[in-house]
Formats: sequence, structure tokens, C-alpha cells
Amino acid sequence: MTGDTTDGQTESATDSDPGDVATDGGDEAAADGAGIVPPDGETPTWSERKQRSQGLSRLTYEYFERSRREDQDLRQQSSYVERDVLAFPTWPHETVRNLALMSFFVGMILLLSALVPPHLPGPADSGSTPAVILPDWYLYWSFGLLKLGPLNPDLSLLGGQKLMADRTYGVLANLVVVGAVAVVPFLNKGSARRPVEQPFWAGVGVMGVVFAFTIAVLSVKNLVSMDSHLLFDLAFLAPIVCGIIAYSVLRAMREGYMFDLNRRYYRLRPPK
Amino acid sequence: MSIERKDEHDHDAWMEERDLTALESIYLSVLIWFDKRLRIVDYLELLEDLYYKVNMQMPKSHTEQYNLDNKFWYWYPLYALGSFSTIAYVVAAISGALLGFYYAPAAAAADGTPSVAYESILFIMGDLNLGLFLRSLHRWSAQIMVAAVFLHMLRVYFTGAYKEPRELNWIIGIVLISLTMVFGYSGYLLPWSQLSFWAGQIGVEMSLSIPLIGEYVAQLLFGGFTPGQATLVRMYILHVFLLPFVVTTLIAIHIGIVWMQGIAEPH
Repeated sequence: MTGDTTDGQTESATDSDPGDVATDGGDEAAADGAGIVPPDGETPTWSERKQRSQGLSRLTYEYFERSRREDQDLRQQSSYVERDVLAFPTWPHETVRNLALMSFFVGMILLLSALVPPHLPGPADSGSTPAVILPDWYLYWSFGLLKLGPLNPDLSLLGGQKLMADRTYGVLANLVVVGAVAVVPFLNKGSARRPVEQPFWAGVGVMGVVFAFTIAVLSVKNLVSMDSHLLFDLAFLAPIVCGIIAYSVLRAMREGYMFDLNRRYYRLRPPK
Repeated sequence: MSIERKDEHDHDAWMEERDLTALESIYLSVLIWFDKRLRIVDYLELLEDLYYKVNMQMPKSHTEQYNLDNKFWYWYPLYALGSFSTIAYVVAAISGALLGFYYAPAAAAADGTPSVAYESILFIMGDLNLGLFLRSLHRWSAQIMVAAVFLHMLRVYFTGAYKEPRELNWIIGIVLISLTMVFGYSGYLLPWSQLSFWAGQIGVEMSLSIPLIGEYVAQLLFGGFTPGQATLVRMYILHVFLLPFVVTTLIAIHIGIVWMQGIAEPH
């Protein structure tokens, strides 16, 4: 029952059983007349309020209505056999699957930390520089990028001067790497997902991963017993070589792979 | 008109007429008590939705639909890497909060004598019951979180999962991976051991090498041009106060977006 005063009263008095009157309990409120003003014909509903509103809120409302209609149209036109979401649901399917793996994983963390306790070096001493200064392993790549001094070009325009100090160059290299990773989605578009479908970007990825390793090796001096200049050159050549190899292999695989994939894929889902 | 407020919907009369058992009436009274105050009914729909989704039949995934699944099951651990890093973060947060009871970021001399901070780490590792395990757990979960985050990024890259609707989450992910490394770095400095000190030295030099604002950055982050007491306290506040709030919020947003958009399946 709604909380109407006059309408509710007459209605419950005429065609409702006494129990309903008790649940309504509207007698007192109605006699009182004060309190909540009942909605009448003049009072706009919430959706009417939304429609009547002006400016940006009006625009938002119109856009949402429109996009809802678009979704509806797409759903009606669609001849897809599959469900109408374009991804795997996070809850509960992926979450439940992950929980099983995660419980195992937490056990592994506990086991590992019980078996391999951390090492604590001596207390800080600015007087004695340790033979090996290294950050944690996950910062090796960044540490290696700080040692790019030999790549810093000395410009003849400035009379053999370098445009920026070597260490500024190293910090800048870090920013360039992070920035390059950040813009990937805006450069690589399209619906290709697998490495075989996009050999170039897979090659770029392999190059990046290998470079992260080689620059880490470079940052840990004396890890590889090799001439330091040769090591420096290899740190930049190896990623390129690996990237090209990955690219060519995937490129060679692509045709046969895509044929196989398309045969199953497009039979059920014809291209638009 | 009495001063006592009337029960607008006269729940008592309604309950009497229903002829309930004792258990039912107690349950209902409690429910009504809460519902009057919190209006639970508004949230009931959300709970129902979760409940029915658990019991919902699993829809055929893209890979199943197109019979690509035979070769995919062993990829699933790679799709759990994000969850791994989250759970490792939770483990690190819990063990870190416990370590915080015993650690003091104080008296950071750099003359080779053990500082208060260093002594507190020694106490945790040597004397505290389960302290060695606790520190080990904190360190390992942090290491594993970073590793899982890196591998997660590689998985997302090589399966093209950063593509169209998900660019924003890729950017948030990059911010998160960077902050994770800052987390690791600031934690690395806290024991104030030799390696901590010299890692701090590298950090100071990195910030000093930024053109124009380098000195301000070094002052702000490290409290000076050589690692000392100020550096330790700043790293401590960064590690236990600023970063936890920022990173937790970002992780929540990151996962929330994944939730809204669904898991990008291999195509």
C-alpha cells in the first residue's frame, strides 16, 4: 500500500480487509494533515525531474538514454550465439578460479619465508663504500639506465659539450621507458590479441623484456666476465636481435595459425 | 496526538497477526530494528544479485565457444597474476603492520655504529618471538608482489589485453607498478644497513640530477643532500602512511574497472 492520505483511506475503508488497515496505520497521519506531502498529479516523478533538468545534467541524461537505446538495438540486431558480454565475468567465475590458485600461492609465500630468511648487512657507514652497491633486483633495469653515459651524444654544435649531464640523461632514460610503455595502447589498435596475430608488437615486447634483462646485467658490474665495452654493446644489440627473431618466427607461424583459427572462428561469427 | 512517535507501519500488529514462532519473531524484530535504522531493504538487491550470480550456470567462455579451450587451461595461472600481486600486497600489509609495532625509524647515524632503527631490526630478527619469520614474510611477500606485478604486465602486453576499452586501466597499472617499486625502495632503506644507506645515496643523486628542480626534489624526498635521519623518517612516512593509502585506493580502482569491464579473454 502506498502512504496516500485521502485516496488510501477511502480505498482501505471500502475494499480492503481490516488487517490491511492496521498495516497501513494511516488514520492518524491523515487526520493530522502535517508531515510528508503526498505526491499528487502536480508533483514530478524522479524521472520527470531528470528530464526537466537543464544544462549538463540534461545532457548527461540524454546521453545515457541514448547509449542505453544503442545497447538495446545492438542486442536485438545481434545474431551472436554467445552471451552478450564481450569479456569473461570477474565475479564469480574468474574470482572463484583465482581463489583456488591464490590459497596455494599464500601457502607458497609462507613456506618460502619460513625456509629462506632475509639477510641483514652491517649498519650504515658513510666512511666505507661497499664493494657492491645494488638496489633490489626489480630496480636493476632502472639502475642500469643510469649508466647510459656513453650513449649521451656530445654535440659538435655546442663545441663537443654534452647537452645534459650523464646522470640527467640516465634519469631521463627511465622516464622515456615508462612513457613508452604507457603509450602502447594508443599506438597498437585493432582487435588482434595473440602474438601470432601481431608479430610486430610481440617482437617489440620480446625486445623490451630482453632489454630489461641485459640492462640489468649491465648494471651489476662484473657479473659477466667480459670486456665491459663488448658487454655494453651486447646489452643493446641482443634485444634487437631477439626482437627480430621473435618477429620472424611469429610472422612465419602466422599464416598457418590464422588459417586454423579463422576456420573455427569465422564459421560461427561471420565478419561484419 | 501523543508525544510518543507512532509506528507508522504498525509492525507489532502485523507480527501478531502473522502468528510467528519465537525464533521467527525474534529474527523479525531484529531485522525490523536494523531496517528502521539502516534501510537494509535498499541494499538487499545487491546481495541477492551476488547470491544468484554464484549459483548462475557458468556461461561458455569465448575460448570454449570456439573450441579453443583445449590448449588454454595452462594459461590460467597467468590470468591469476593480478590476484597474486593483490594477495601478496595484503600479506605484506598485515605483516608490515605487525612489524610496525617493533620498528623505530630513529637515530640514523652513518658512522658504522648500529642506529636505533638497525637495532630494532636486530631485535625483531634475533629476540622477538616469530620475528625472523615476520620480517621474512614481509620481505618475501613484497618481492613476490613486485615479481607478480611485472609478470602481470607482461601477460597483459602479450595477450593484447590493454586494447580498446582498457587503455585507462593500463595507465593506472603503470602508475601502480611504479608506486610498487617506490614502495620497495622506501622499504629497502628502512633497516638503515650499509645497502640501505648507499641505495639512499643513489636516490639522492638521481633526484639531484633532475634539471632545475633537482635540489628541491632531493630536499622534499630525502630531507637533504646526504642520507641521514631526515631521509629515514621521510622514507618511513612514505612507506607506512602515504603509499599505503594511495596504492590501496589505486588497486581498488584498478580492480573495480576490471570488474566492470570483465576479463579480457585470449582471442
